[in-house]
Amino acid sequence: MTHNSASIELKGVDKEYRRDEFTIPVLVNLDLAVAEGEFLALMGPSGSGKTTLLNLIAGLDRATRGEVNVHGQDLGRLSDALITRWRADNVGFIFQTYNLIPVLTAFENVELPLLLTHLSKRARRENVATALRIVGLAGREHHYPRQLSGGQEQRVAIARAIVTDPYLLVADEPTGDLDRATAGEILELLEQLNREFQKTIVMVTHDPLAAQRASRILHLDKGQLVGDVTQEGRISAAS
Amino acid sequence: MIPLKYNVRNLRVRWKTTLMTMLGTGLVVWSSCILFGLVEGLEYSLRVSGEPLDLIVMRKGSSNETTGGFASSKAEEILNLPGIARDEAGQPLAALELLNIPIAQRKDGTTTNVIIRGVQPASRNLRPDFKIVEGRFLDQGKEECIVSRNLSRSFKGAQLGAELKFGEKEKYRVVGVFTAGGSSAESEIWADLRDLEKNTGRVGTVSCVQLRAATAADFEKLQATLNDDPQFKLAAIPETVYFESQSRSSLFLKAAGTMIAVLLTLGAMFAAANTMFAAVSARTREIGTLRALGFSRRDVLISFLGESLLLCMMGGAIGLLGTIPLSSLTYETSDFNSFAAVTVAFRFGPLVMGVALAMTLAMGVFGGMFPALRAVRLDVILALREL
Repeated sequence: MTHNSASIELKGVDKEYRRDEFTIPVLVNLDLAVAEGEFLALMGPSGSGKTTLLNLIAGLDRATRGEVNVHGQDLGRLSDALITRWRADNVGFIFQTYNLIPVLTAFENVELPLLLTHLSKRARRENVATALRIVGLAGREHHYPRQLSGGQEQRVAIARAIVTDPYLLVADEPTGDLDRATAGEILELLEQLNREFQKTIVMVTHDPLAAQRASRILHLDKGQLVGDVTQEGRISAAS
Repeated sequence: MIPLKYNVRNLRVRWKTTLMTMLGTGLVVWSSCILFGLVEGLEYSLRVSGEPLDLIVMRKGSSNETTGGFASSKAEEILNLPGIARDEAGQPLAALELLNIPIAQRKDGTTTNVIIRGVQPASRNLRPDFKIVEGRFLDQGKEECIVSRNLSRSFKGAQLGAELKFGEKEKYRVVGVFTAGGSSAESEIWADLRDLEKNTGRVGTVSCVQLRAATAADFEKLQATLNDDPQFKLAAIPETVYFESQSRSSLFLKAAGTMIAVLLTLGAMFAAANTMFAAVSARTREIGTLRALGFSRRDVLISFLGESLLLCMMGGAIGLLGTIPLSSLTYETSDFNSFAAVTVAFRFGPLVMGVALAMTLAMGVFGGMFPALRAVRLDVILALREL
């Protein structure tokens, strides 16, 4: 696989947490380059630093030392307000437990990120309809999360993640709460988004079968990269 | 901006706590509105009692009509002064009046002081919107009286056709019931001046003269003449100034009402804060999600403060609606100068609306501020992990 120029680049990244008088290293001197349009799976045992790495790339957390560059932006240089804005413009989030707002309908949940844009109501409605159609949920606009199955909820969450057409999708155990068949459908959808819409995807997973869908698998242990496998034969937008 | 429907629907989902908080804040607003409705009623009755061209003439040094009198011969001379307005019959719009404050019995058997005002025919034209609502106006020299509708409802013998007795000598047949546009006259019984003089043994004395000047210039001249001319040497006080000085009792009520309202509001603030803290705790992960999606700290602050305000405003609306059945009620209090009964109609006007709005805003903003700040300060990553 030939990688395009790196659009996610981490150089010498350390991440430490403080617990009382103790300093706990989570990521240690990490270097990483991810090409635009790549579908990356992060694997490793619990506590290996996968989710922390995902949070750094998504602009939810900051490195203790080192540089995190995403899509040409050094995230360490952004203020709290600017990084919030940056997230809204560039990142779509997919969570293990879907994290839909229970009092809002599927349509309203998907519309949420668009409320941070200057789009007209009509344009917002069209974008939401498109996103719901892509994830196969046209006709479920007015259902509340409690009226949907787990797989459908995750589809709504994916629609919410793509509705602003972000550069990057981050997914933290997106199939962790789903049965095998539904998990397969969600992973197919992610593959489709990567392949057809050239979305760069970074996914944390414990599931080797889920990781097989990615074009590249990184293994972390104790905060360090211990394996980097590019999957031959996998077709991704970065190929 | 986080959409308002997010807050509205959350309030609906936890309807039990929403309802309890609304009822609590509503009760606080309601009870404060009653206090301030009374203050506003009292102030209104004093305000409408004062006509801009009217003068009250009293003995120099008297602070009010009940604390001094002067010779009726001097009072008669005032009626002849130039510059006094005339009625349709060409009679001067001026009246000699005498006040007596006997003890009267309420319908429930308790007693209190009431004002009996000895009047002349012109007196009725010197009160705003004076109306006989039952019976007729009194005839002079026939020991008749007319009673304000408020007193007629609550005092023994004050009903049309009944006889009002005060002590051994004073008794009047009630021939009419009147209203006077909510002014202080609505706490009085009116009898003929001469009858009252005779019955109280105060012949040749008046408490005051009420008069209306024809023009603003006449008003100035009359005031100067009555105050400075050695022939009179009386105190001619503009009615508006006189009634303003009589509002000490409303100041006390206002101060007490404000203190009670502040304390109640503080209590309700804690209730609102408690509800909102529970809301923030229950929605920690939602807050984390909203922040991750790109909503700013300011968006979250506005959303939770807005929710708190909405909650308290609904409570405030309930409190205000609860005052509607009270708007036709009256309340009896005491005049601080004469200790006579003063009947005040609750009045839910701008002061009450202002108090209700201020209390609602205070409860909503201060009750919601700390929970909203807590929501704002949540660490996004920790919030997303919350179950």
